[in-house]
Amino acid sequence: MADVQLSQTKQGQPRSSAAGTIWLIQAFTGVLLVFLLLLHMIAHHFVVEGSLRNFEQVIDYISNPLIFTITIIFLIVVTIHAMLGMRAIILDLNVSPSTRRVVDWAAVIIGIIAIAYGIWLEVVLVSM
Amino acid sequence: MEDAPPELRDFPQARKLRRVRAKNPIRAWFDVRRDRAGSWAFALNRLTALGLTLYLFLHLAVLFLLTRGEEGWDSFIALAKTPFFLILDVILIFGVLFHGLNGIRVTLVGLGMGADRQRTLFWVVTAVTIVLLTISAYIIFTL
Repeated sequence: MADVQLSQTKQGQPRSSAAGTIWLIQAFTGVLLVFLLLLHMIAHHFVVEGSLRNFEQVIDYISNPLIFTITIIFLIVVTIHAMLGMRAIILDLNVSPSTRRVVDWAAVIIGIIAIAYGIWLEVVLVSM
Repeated sequence: MEDAPPELRDFPQARKLRRVRAKNPIRAWFDVRRDRAGSWAFALNRLTALGLTLYLFLHLAVLFLLTRGEEGWDSFIALAKTPFFLILDVILIFGVLFHGLNGIRVTLVGLGMGADRQRTLFWVVTAVTIVLLTISAYIIFTL
């Protein structure tokens, strides 16, 4: 049973080794996200008076170098997980090889833009 | 069916799934004839994935308001505490809880842990989602 799960997709097609690697990246980033999102919820909602940080509280929080770093790691991990997930959903629609290439590149480019924007935003905010 | 790998050609279930998949891949998400719990888990996992990705990009865009300083951000915070946004928060928490807990289940089963109990695990995921969602909704609307 376990072997079937590892080597086949839901539609019963054998996975390539690349697909297996992507599956492992999804699982790994997914498990990381459980912890990162829990930290995010605690820091931004559970321990804050009024459940949402005001401007000053947000800047205070991300000005801590450790939090600054964790936030960027969170951004990178969540973007990779989201882009790989969207790619998988689109590729499951039986797209042509050329569309597949476009989807692969779009996922990479959109992911890089999102990560670059997030890091830029954080740097701007910390220097405000 | 010709394009199916040889080892699957004699699998009637695989044949049926492939036919549905070739006709309408989206409908195959909701083809619950073979494995009801597993199919619901698969479909819900993907629907929540789409919702959470949409939310991620909206969230990143809204954070731009922080560059407008106190004025820009704190007025958004006031808006985010209105009942309409609190209802959206509950929907978001449903997505996060189900996707996260089901993701743990898929990971465990995929790595060979609890594969013989995956259906039970799905009901555990559903039950824990409902309990935590109820608690979250209570906290959101009362605190």
